[in-house]
Amino acid sequence: MATLPSELDVVASDGIKDVAKLEDVVDREALMEVCRSFFDLFGLSIRVVSASGTLLADMHEQRSICRYVNGFLGGKAACRNIVSAVRETVPDEETVVHPCFTGAQYRIVPIVYHGRRVGRFVVGPYMPAEQQEIAPTLLNVDPGINAEEVAQRMADMPKVREDTAQRIVTHLRGITGLLLFSGHRAHLTSEMHIASVRESYRELAEKTAKLQTAYDRLKDLDRLKSNFLATVSHELRTPLTSVIGYAEMLESGMAGDLNSEQQEFVRTIHEKGEHLLALITSLLDLSKLEQGALTVKPESVDPAALLSDIEKTMRPHAHKKNIRFDVDVAEGVPGLQGDPMRLRQVLFNLTENALKFTPEGGIVHLSVEPSVLESEGDMLGAVLMAAPEQAVKFTVRDTGMGMPKSELSKIFDAFYQVDGSSTREHGGAGLGLSIVKRLVDAHDGTVRVESEVGSGTSFMVTLPAS
Amino acid sequence: MQLDFKARELTVKLVYYGPALSGKTTNLQAIHRLVSPATSGRLMTLETRDDRTLFFDLLPLSFKAGSGIQVRIKLFTVPGQVIHNATRRLVLQGADGVAFIADSQHRETKANQVAFLNMRENLKENGFNPQSHPLVIQFNKRDLQDIRTDEEIDTLAKRGKEPVFKAVATRGTGVIETLLGLMELTWARLESEHQLQKKFGIEPERFLLDVRERLGVGEAAE
Repeated sequence: MATLPSELDVVASDGIKDVAKLEDVVDREALMEVCRSFFDLFGLSIRVVSASGTLLADMHEQRSICRYVNGFLGGKAACRNIVSAVRETVPDEETVVHPCFTGAQYRIVPIVYHGRRVGRFVVGPYMPAEQQEIAPTLLNVDPGINAEEVAQRMADMPKVREDTAQRIVTHLRGITGLLLFSGHRAHLTSEMHIASVRESYRELAEKTAKLQTAYDRLKDLDRLKSNFLATVSHELRTPLTSVIGYAEMLESGMAGDLNSEQQEFVRTIHEKGEHLLALITSLLDLSKLEQGALTVKPESVDPAALLSDIEKTMRPHAHKKNIRFDVDVAEGVPGLQGDPMRLRQVLFNLTENALKFTPEGGIVHLSVEPSVLESEGDMLGAVLMAAPEQAVKFTVRDTGMGMPKSELSKIFDAFYQVDGSSTREHGGAGLGLSIVKRLVDAHDGTVRVESEVGSGTSFMVTLPAS
Repeated sequence: MQLDFKARELTVKLVYYGPALSGKTTNLQAIHRLVSPATSGRLMTLETRDDRTLFFDLLPLSFKAGSGIQVRIKLFTVPGQVIHNATRRLVLQGADGVAFIADSQHRETKANQVAFLNMRENLKENGFNPQSHPLVIQFNKRDLQDIRTDEEIDTLAKRGKEPVFKAVATRGTGVIETLLGLMELTWARLESEHQLQKKFGIEPERFLLDVRERLGVGEAAE
């Protein structure tokens, strides 16, 4: 038996609190107010005591007779005995009536909530209206007590009929029951609010952890993919170099003269070999960029020279496709800090793309102008920011087929082509733009695209000026 | 279950589970109406919106059992709507027994299944074994049209091991029977787990008779 819990568990095992203490759910101020108005209404003294013995509210007035009796030694002792007896009386389920030697009495009323005693009221002292005579116990309590004085002083002692007292007490129990109920409900509601939020949080935290694990795993896989690409590209390049080399040797007649048909075949092998090499090199670049292994060697770059270099390389291609190729260099373009090889690659890829997707008779326009570096998001509070950074803006504009808006966010992804079928028509593995994006990022620049289906596309690359 | 040995007080928690609008709160309201005010406390409803339970309802029953023990039975309902799963799990914590209130209407069959699976899941989450936890099933709304037939329910009930009750909670029919059925199962479980008879001197048969009497279906009424 001793193994059973002897203390009351205030918090139930389900976390939904039970009322174990009156003071937990009832506001003392409110209780005091109820007692005050009770006193005003019925003229009866009242005290509220919790189950643990704490006095929660006390509204009483010392009666004239009590003051008088307390002036005598015998009276004082008797009064003290009664008061402590009343204080220690803990009623079980029913009201206990405790008499006083003065003939008055106290009613001790249990406060029960959900089958549990949580406290009690002490109402009194009051004189039962049924009692007319002065109690002999009062007159005998001390030899100095004067019967006439007692009779006079009894006047301010409230007189209540027993059945009325019972009704008053029932009313009081009703009010307290309601107070307790409301308090308990408010208490539970707030507890549940907190518990529900905590439970939802726990659920979300669990899900977040799962997502994080999945994300980490995907990141690992992505890294694995890049490594794989790098290794495979590298391994592919070595034999391909030999293929191209031997094709070149055959072409140059080192192994004897070739007839025109053989020449043609070997040239095709050589050409396609170069294509393949370029593709593999892009793959290698991309995987290096993805691994962050690509290093940018910054030096001074002249944007105009860069453009003229591209123009020289690309003009023959444009000419071949009968595309107008315009190049504009604005006044006052500042110099750049960057890796000339990589920046050349950026503009080369963009221009090559523009030419690839522009039909015969179209226009490709390449330009450079001074600009400022665009910041992300809106310009709220721009006035508070540092002065905008000087920048160089390259624009490659074409009059090609353009792209729908919905595709624009994806075109910088590796292997992505707006229309899968264009791979066959125009060639390319969809790596150019993703390399462009990564190279521009590596230079702390931005690349933007504007496009309209049917009328063309513009790529804007903005790089910080040196 | 909570035992306060010093105060000779015993608290049992029973939870009414089920799909939205199957009549869980209506069951508690009927019990509140049928059981004498001396036994039943006020029915507490926590935060309702548009007549739907948001947190839970709580109906406390309390009485002194034969062996002088203060018995407190707390009846809870869970919110049926799908989104309140966190609250349902919380309310189910520490439940000694569960009454599953199913809607008899054909079109609610799926909702019953979903809620039942959700209950099994939440019982597990709370560390209970759904296979052995005291459980009764009530088919409510027997007065409506287009409901699953008595024969169908009886046949299916034979396949399951949990007691099945039929009820019209709005009229109070079958409500007390469901509660008593659950109380019997729960008590058997508590007895075997805590040896209440040995430790507490509560004799199971006597106790259940007390409960029946308190719920207004004592021997005299039978």
